Amino acid sequence: MNTNLVDVKGVTKDFHNGKITVNALRGLDLVIHEGDFLAIVGPSGSGKTTLLNLIGALDVASSGDISIFGHDLMAMSRKQRAELRLTSLGFVFQAYNLIPVLTALENVKFVLELQGVDGGRHERAMSILEDLSLGELANRRPNEMSGGQQQRVAVARAIVARPRLVLADEPTANLDSENSEALLVMMRELRDKHGMTFVFSTHDPLVMAHATRVVTLLDGRVVSDETKNAGDAAGSAN
Amino acid sequence: MRDTLLAKFAFRTLGRNPRRTLMSIIGVGVGCSIVLYMTAFTRGGAEMRIRGISESGFGHARIAPATWDKTRDSDLRLEDWERDLDIANGMAGVKFTAPHSRTTALLAFGTRVAGVEMLGVDPESEKNTSRLIRVLSEGRYLEREDEGAVVIGTAIAERLEVELDDDLFITIAGAGGEMKYAMLRIVGIISTGSRTIDSTICHVTLSEMEQLTGYPGVGEITIVFNDPSYIDALTVRLGELLEGPDPVVSWKVVIPSQGGDMGSDAVFMNLLVGVVIVVAVLGVASAQLTAILERKREFAVLIALGMKGGQIVRLILIEAVAMGVLGGAAGLVIGLPFIYPGATQGYNFADMMGGDFVTEGVLFDPIVYADMGMWLIPLAFGIALFSTLVAGLYPAWYALRTNPTSALSLREA
Repeated sequence: MNTNLVDVKGVTKDFHNGKITVNALRGLDLVIHEGDFLAIVGPSGSGKTTLLNLIGALDVASSGDISIFGHDLMAMSRKQRAELRLTSLGFVFQAYNLIPVLTALENVKFVLELQGVDGGRHERAMSILEDLSLGELANRRPNEMSGGQQQRVAVARAIVARPRLVLADEPTANLDSENSEALLVMMRELRDKHGMTFVFSTHDPLVMAHATRVVTLLDGRVVSDETKNAGDAAGSAN
Repeated sequence: MRDTLLAKFAFRTLGRNPRRTLMSIIGVGVGCSIVLYMTAFTRGGAEMRIRGISESGFGHARIAPATWDKTRDSDLRLEDWERDLDIANGMAGVKFTAPHSRTTALLAFGTRVAGVEMLGVDPESEKNTSRLIRVLSEGRYLEREDEGAVVIGTAIAERLEVELDDDLFITIAGAGGEMKYAMLRIVGIISTGSRTIDSTICHVTLSEMEQLTGYPGVGEITIVFNDPSYIDALTVRLGELLEGPDPVVSWKVVIPSQGGDMGSDAVFMNLLVGVVIVVAVLGVASAQLTAILERKREFAVLIALGMKGGQIVRLILIEAVAMGVLGGAAGLVIGLPFIYPGATQGYNFADMMGGDFVTEGVLFDPIVYADMGMWLIPLAFGIALFSTLVAGLYPAWYALRTNPTSALSLREA
């Protein structure tokens, strides 16, 4: 029986721009289970990024309930949401968003420093980089790495604190198919090895092919929720 | 060390746009150097003023009769001047003392007359406290055992058309109110270079003054401290030690207009310093804010990663501190070449003042030297750090308000 990691119930999100109101989410319901490798797809404006922002505790819903790891996200203070992001969530961004003045190793260690981890930061960060075959790039800055390498470092940064949930917004958008494939295989391995849950917002068919579950949004609502049979997903070990 | 990377992050950020960082550092440095220059000059001017006052015979402080401050009556005398003098001489921090007594006198020679404030002095003490008596143009200065002797300034001598060894006819109001007369021989003529000062000098010995006026004792004791920086504290301390009816007053009370002038100079300079700092703060804040705006996405990512408000503020303030340290160093590098000539050669205001540099009996040195010392270093870094930290507050607050959702979407960045 899968554990519910995230429970989204009747969530709406409105954006106001002057007199114009945009209803990005219109009573959306979604349950994310532990171990999901979930792709959220849909046309532009369907609400994918908005949903990710809400689940990632980066934004607050206009109405409805969001429960994450059993905590009511709507009742959390700004500080509590920051703490939740720091300790339990990992983010992978479309544009990598590594800190340009820090090396790959420092980018990964930085999350541990923010967490207040005192000892063993270097070893933990280096171990993750080596696991992702980035050991040789540890002392390179982002502008000395390719897009694929930077995205792998971004994944390393996202998972170094062992979050339960990793949210990735169009992680393959700036990568060629070879790098995209490698990145997705790597993420699947991390899920299998560490039991992490991955949620992607994507247009990329390759991500959908690797996903174990595909949720389609249209006009701020879930219009389909397809869970693949074991072994159907690309790159599946089964 | 918990914040090692945060500090590294902050320091390396300064190198992202070297031109802007350099301009900001130079901006802080120039502002800082202006403040250093003005402060060095103000301190030098204040030091010159206090030195001029002290060496003109006023000292740094004065033990005066109880009601002197209100009446300024030159015939007042101290209750127990010998005790006061012993206590003052025994106090740590006191360099010299000189007892004085004063009275108003009319000098006459033939048909020519001049009104003066006659000063009774202890010649040995006076040599330590007044530089005016060291510039004798003729004759000698008084000695303790002198009787019937007087030293006058050249302007008085010229007015009365007298020379050395001439006898002056003195008229004064005595203790009982009756007029007293005496003949005093001129044993020395002083020429300070200032006609204003030279028209006021008329010195006799303390014993001569007692005999002439009928008032026993002395009217004041002039005090010179070792370190003029502690005049106020030492004045209070001496007052506490004396525990008597005669108070100790600083030169600011003796010559209030000079104290007022120095106070207004300080206020004016502080105002200028404030303006310079405000301009520097606004310049740096503008540059910092631009930098923050350029890094909006980065701050969104940091917030998304879970960075807390305090950590963001710390990051920006570490950047500000780094810039402040560099700005302070730049301030010293830019400012010292301007301060050094002022400290070694001084600025001669003689031409600007048009002759005598004298006010209220104080002969000032027309050359003002800037005060250059180790104090410039903490001041430079203090001003620079204050400026950059204040300048960093608004950008830090702005960074805190970054919407983290922009980190997840290029559209909203």
